[in-house]
Amino acid sequence: MAPQARFRLEPATVRRLLGLAVLLLWEVLPRAGLIPALFLPPLTETLGALVHHAGEYAHHLLFSLYAIGIAMGVACGIGIGAGLLVGSVAPLRQSVQPVASGLYAVPLVILYPLFTAWFGIGPQSKIVFASLYGLLPCFLGTMAGVQTIDRHYITVARSLRASRLQLLTRVLLPAAIPTVLSAFRIGGALVIVGIVVAEMLTSTEGIGYLITRNRTLLNSPRVFAGILLVVALVIGFDALVRLLERRTRHWRFSTRSADAVA
Amino acid sequence: MTTLLQAPDRADRAAAPQTPAAGHVQVRGLGHTYDAAGRVTRALDGIELDIAPGRFVVIVGTSGCGKSSLLMMMTGLVSPSEGSITCGGMPMMAPDPDRVGVVFQEASLYPWLTAQQNVEFPLSLRKLPKAERAARARERLALVGLQGFEDRYPHELSGGMKQRVSIARGLVQDPPVLMLDEPFAALDEQTRITMGDELLRIWERTGKTVIFVTHSLTEAAYLADEIIVMSARPGRIVDRIEVDLPRPRTYAMMSTPRFAALRERIWGHIRNQAGE
Amino acid sequence: MSAAPPIPSHAGRRARGLLPWALVLAVLCVAWQGALVTGLMAPELLPPLGEVVTTAVELLTRPSVMAHAGTTLAEVAVAFVIAVPLGLLLGIAIAESRYWSAVLKPVIFLVFSIPKTIFLPMFILAFGINFAQKVGFGVFSTIFIVLISAFSALDSVKAEHLRVARIYGATPRQVAWRVYLPSMAPVLLEAVRLAMMFNLTGILLAEMYAARSGLGQLVSNWGENFMLRELLAGILIISTAAILFNEAVRWLETRCEHWRA
Repeated sequence: MAPQARFRLEPATVRRLLGLAVLLLWEVLPRAGLIPALFLPPLTETLGALVHHAGEYAHHLLFSLYAIGIAMGVACGIGIGAGLLVGSVAPLRQSVQPVASGLYAVPLVILYPLFTAWFGIGPQSKIVFASLYGLLPCFLGTMAGVQTIDRHYITVARSLRASRLQLLTRVLLPAAIPTVLSAFRIGGALVIVGIVVAEMLTSTEGIGYLITRNRTLLNSPRVFAGILLVVALVIGFDALVRLLERRTRHWRFSTRSADAVA
Repeated sequence: MTTLLQAPDRADRAAAPQTPAAGHVQVRGLGHTYDAAGRVTRALDGIELDIAPGRFVVIVGTSGCGKSSLLMMMTGLVSPSEGSITCGGMPMMAPDPDRVGVVFQEASLYPWLTAQQNVEFPLSLRKLPKAERAARARERLALVGLQGFEDRYPHELSGGMKQRVSIARGLVQDPPVLMLDEPFAALDEQTRITMGDELLRIWERTGKTVIFVTHSLTEAAYLADEIIVMSARPGRIVDRIEVDLPRPRTYAMMSTPRFAALRERIWGHIRNQAGE
Repeated sequence: MSAAPPIPSHAGRRARGLLPWALVLAVLCVAWQGALVTGLMAPELLPPLGEVVTTAVELLTRPSVMAHAGTTLAEVAVAFVIAVPLGLLLGIAIAESRYWSAVLKPVIFLVFSIPKTIFLPMFILAFGINFAQKVGFGVFSTIFIVLISAFSALDSVKAEHLRVARIYGATPRQVAWRVYLPSMAPVLLEAVRLAMMFNLTGILLAEMYAARSGLGQLVSNWGENFMLRELLAGILIISTAAILFNEAVRWLETRCEHWRA
């Protein structure tokens, strides 16, 4: 086992090679006619579509981003706030947590037609839907985060006669930040996709609308270009929050080894 | 392979009392080298042990001296790079619960089994009749003082009680040798002392050979007939101390000059290593 | 030490578990009817609760609705039966190899962090609008959570427990059945629960987006035609079914975990 391992490539290298292979196959398979270009348009054609219609994509993306911004504020604001509150009151948490995670089982997509009926097909219905979509993960994650705070931190703060406000801002919040951030990361990604999916279902503007319109026109490169854009947006958001998470994790462990584990 | 090496079967042993040689453990020229990520480390070197049946031997040393690895090799779980280990005159090539019972640190009990089922576990792997299994497990639990706790799950037991269950499990196949790897390390001071007394009582009643690994000087001096002191990197035996304290051991002995001298002698070796 | 104190009973806890649900239901009813009484919502937008419940009961006996439900259930079941075993096998195979874990785990976690719903249009382009496309999308939506659950299931097997089994001479088969399986059982059940959530969401969305039948398509139709009584009744039925399934598996989980208490 050991001598064999020495001849193997570094995992990171293999990962890069795999990524490269996927990109290559994406280009070669449809060009060689092994996969119809309707199913999978070549990579260069997809990127070309993005570049050619950059203005249009930018316009619709901005429209979507506006809705995403509002929905994220609502979902994460309410989710994290309520999570902190409920999580720090033990009896409340014990009765709310099972119900909240039970409600999580409801496939929220079926509420979207209700929201379009109530709020019309403009951005409002999407914002309401995406807010709800991201809310529960934020709430549950934050609640769990507060729960895992070391009781000793609180005891120490109490022994130093910290006030309730000081306890919240100086101890609970900093200690909970890494878990709150990971809740935000999951909830935020759901908000982004929630908006886009809602736009895909019914709307007249936004990146999701663009994807659906091109799908009905069977313009594959432009569908893939739109999806690629949204995936890039989600990965970018994810990476950004992960970076913040890593920064704040030092507060908890004060060693760099925590990074190595993550 | 194990079938060839197995000790005489149960019926024989029940008829005739254990032959004294069954509990004889010998280690000859044992050394161990391992290779982790291209770095070769000498973990154990020149280990020689000759443990007479029925003796209580404690192996003591700082963390990282390889005492636990040595014990794992004696149980047959890990094979050394060189040297030989025999138990009852036959080599320990693989774990053999008929010859050696093992007790680990806490948390080695299966949380999904009751105390009774945990003790029965080794027997159930051998498909023994249910009634016999249950009777033997109950008897062992009684031996360790856990009558009435048969149906408790580990999480319903205290740390000391869990280790009693572990000891009962180690003894359930009535092996001539019992090996314990820092069994009381996770317990509090008082429970440790009680459990030490319990182990001595069980040892005196069953006459097993006991090999006990610990990093506690007090525990070593309190329990042992003989203390083996190990040094770190590579793990070597630096001293063998015959403990001449009378038995039964009592708590009061810990404050005698003889006890202090024993601890002082072990500490001398360990301090020397720390200074290097 | 001689007399064993009695073990505390778990019956009281279960009763307390139902109370919060009753409260949620009560709040929902009050808010619903309150919105109507105060005129916050028009009855055209929010039909009275009683009417919606009656409609729900009626829908459950309407053959056409049951046909749609049958389509959805078939899609959900097939996707589930493919995704869960496949994901578990793949996940265990990856996690058992240290090398492939190092290579693939970061990729899987990255893909997992992207909500799968965004890829739906690709499935339509590739498969068309049919049963296979729904199932394919269901499997795709589900498999990553199953993979990740398989990783954590293997993590939940303790080295200590494996060592004990080896010391007592367990065969590989005995190790699998008597150590791996009980150790992993709670995590595996959780995997089933999460898989069903992701699966159901994926398939309902696929039906809402483009389909000729299925509950998703039905719900979406009712919305477009402002048939709010049916729409709300449908939401009520689907939500209740999802919650009941979830709670049933969770109940099994706690039964499996009673030793942890």
